[in-house]
Amino acid sequence: MQKVLIANRGEIAVRVMRTCREMGLRTVAVYSDADRASLHVAYADEAYRLGPAHAVESYLQGDLIIEIARRIGADAIHPGYGFLSENPAFAEACESARITFIGPPVSAMRALGSKTLARQAADAAAMPRVPGSVTGLADVAEAQRVAAEIGYPVMLKAAAGGGGKGMRAVYSHAELATAYATASSEAERSFGSGEVYLEKLIERPRHIEVQVMADSHGHCLYLGERECSVQRRHQKVIEEAPSPVVDQDLRRRMGEAAVRLALSAGYVNAGTVEFLVDDDRNFYFLEMNTRLQVEHPVTELITGLDLVEMQIRVAMGEPLRLSQQDVVLRGHAVECRIYAEDPENNFMPSPGKITRFLQPAGPGVREDCGVYEGWTVPLDYDPMLSKLITYGATRELAIDRMLRALDEYTIGGIRTNIGLFRRILSDPDFRSAAIDTGYLERLLSGPKENEQESIPEEVIALAVAILTGVSKRHKGAAPSAAASRWKTIGRQEGLRA
Amino acid sequence: MKSWVRIGEKTIRVELPADIMQGGRYPCIVEGRAIEADVTLLANEALSLIVEGRQYRCVLDGDAIVIAGRRYEFAVEDPRALAGRAGAGEGGSGPRAVKAPMPGRVVRVLVAEGDQVEAMQGVVVIEAMKMQNELKVPRAGRVSKVAVLADTTVEAGQILVVIE
Repeated sequence: MQKVLIANRGEIAVRVMRTCREMGLRTVAVYSDADRASLHVAYADEAYRLGPAHAVESYLQGDLIIEIARRIGADAIHPGYGFLSENPAFAEACESARITFIGPPVSAMRALGSKTLARQAADAAAMPRVPGSVTGLADVAEAQRVAAEIGYPVMLKAAAGGGGKGMRAVYSHAELATAYATASSEAERSFGSGEVYLEKLIERPRHIEVQVMADSHGHCLYLGERECSVQRRHQKVIEEAPSPVVDQDLRRRMGEAAVRLALSAGYVNAGTVEFLVDDDRNFYFLEMNTRLQVEHPVTELITGLDLVEMQIRVAMGEPLRLSQQDVVLRGHAVECRIYAEDPENNFMPSPGKITRFLQPAGPGVREDCGVYEGWTVPLDYDPMLSKLITYGATRELAIDRMLRALDEYTIGGIRTNIGLFRRILSDPDFRSAAIDTGYLERLLSGPKENEQESIPEEVIALAVAILTGVSKRHKGAAPSAAASRWKTIGRQEGLRA
Repeated sequence: MKSWVRIGEKTIRVELPADIMQGGRYPCIVEGRAIEADVTLLANEALSLIVEGRQYRCVLDGDAIVIAGRRYEFAVEDPRALAGRAGAGEGGSGPRAVKAPMPGRVVRVLVAEGDQVEAMQGVVVIEAMKMQNELKVPRAGRVSKVAVLADTTVEAGQILVVIE
């Protein structure tokens, strides 16, 4: 393998390219018209245009991507996460074009990609799972029969689903018929399949997932777990590793179950087995993600491994160099997903030009970033700017380090959710790890604690007066490159208000 | 150099020597109190300010200032303009437009012309960056104009709905 095409954009494309470079592999970026100036293009050794901004016309053009890979002699394609990463037809097309797909075999992706098929595989591998149906429900009558069997409350879920779409909690028989209809039509609209299934609702569950890595020689490792309970609208916001509630014994039992599932499906490469864990620390299989996860860095920091390097080596056919005993977890890591969105304004997306970008650094800080100062965040893709990850000997140190790093992070011109992280990381419940998947919604709906105001208003006013006076001067002379029109307008509005 | 800086509810009067941007130590007056400010410009629109031994790195970001990672929105008021604008601004009863806060695609229009709406009622759903956002009216009234159609794209600042 000499040349790898990365069929993705943003921070994950850059992160994959970094490892490729370390391994002496040439890196190939692909891009849409909205991304010509993106960091992942500027980082790559080669770059090829895909098409217009809309993902359907660019990053989801599997045939075009394979055609480019063939033309330029790329040996392998890394799909990152999202886009084509869990698309078996794309993986199959790579195979027939004799291009290595850095991910699982098509058969394993098919077997584990559908949630209902995955539940059947979990049963076959004797994994504990949430009680409920293992096939799609035929109609409301079947839904009512299954719900009566397992008892309310229950959860309706889309078989092809993800991201909370087509999901409904149902607390009584009376609500079921309506919930079934809305979940099914939402699933139909979002995923092109109205198939829904039903399972018992676990109250106040934790979301804990196990990272697995399998080679093509029948070896599979579990690389510890990640705690991903801090979620908003079923989207992860903060992840950490290890989970503060998982001990050695539970880790081994969850890990072995995850490995059993992977091996039973002939899984190869990196994968994540998601579990719900209840108050009594019973764990239930939820689903398997057949790709590299957004939150993989927290696992890398506590294991000292490079998961992308392992993915590439496994895809080359190399056996894993470690045995399970060699996997040692050390310390604690926390990740915050930095988004261009405004938590003060109902999490409204905030695309636009980044006029200032001061990045955190120092001990135990890692930033996986896909943006730079002066770049305009396009509105065509998800609003993730970067992932900030901190590492410390203990959970408390990792959290304190994150708070310090967040204070260093200054992103100007657009709004970000950095303030939200400060609020969560200072919250006593988060700090004592009293979290479940409903934690963040409860925190957000509760009263906002006033941050202890450490900066006197007189000082803020003084700084404002000096800086606005200075820039007025500058404007009169020669406008500097960094003084954007956006700011000028902002200031004029400010003066007028 | 005198200015009135509004931060949140408070308006603070600041008086600076005209040459303060040269950098160095300067006597300033904030709310009638004398303060010595030690000022050094770090970059365009960024400075290090030392007041009574405490150091603050301050970065201007449009209509906000960022100090130690925290954003403070401000407005600098021109004292001469204050007299003329009494009574204007918030609260008036004239027509009020709901504008697109960002470029995006209109997913749904939730009201029709002539509808009565409550304060904070959603009127238009816009999608940008894979997220749907319901835009709300600031106060109750009657919809006098719906200026967009579902499935069309809008620019930031474009008027979507007008309320009377």
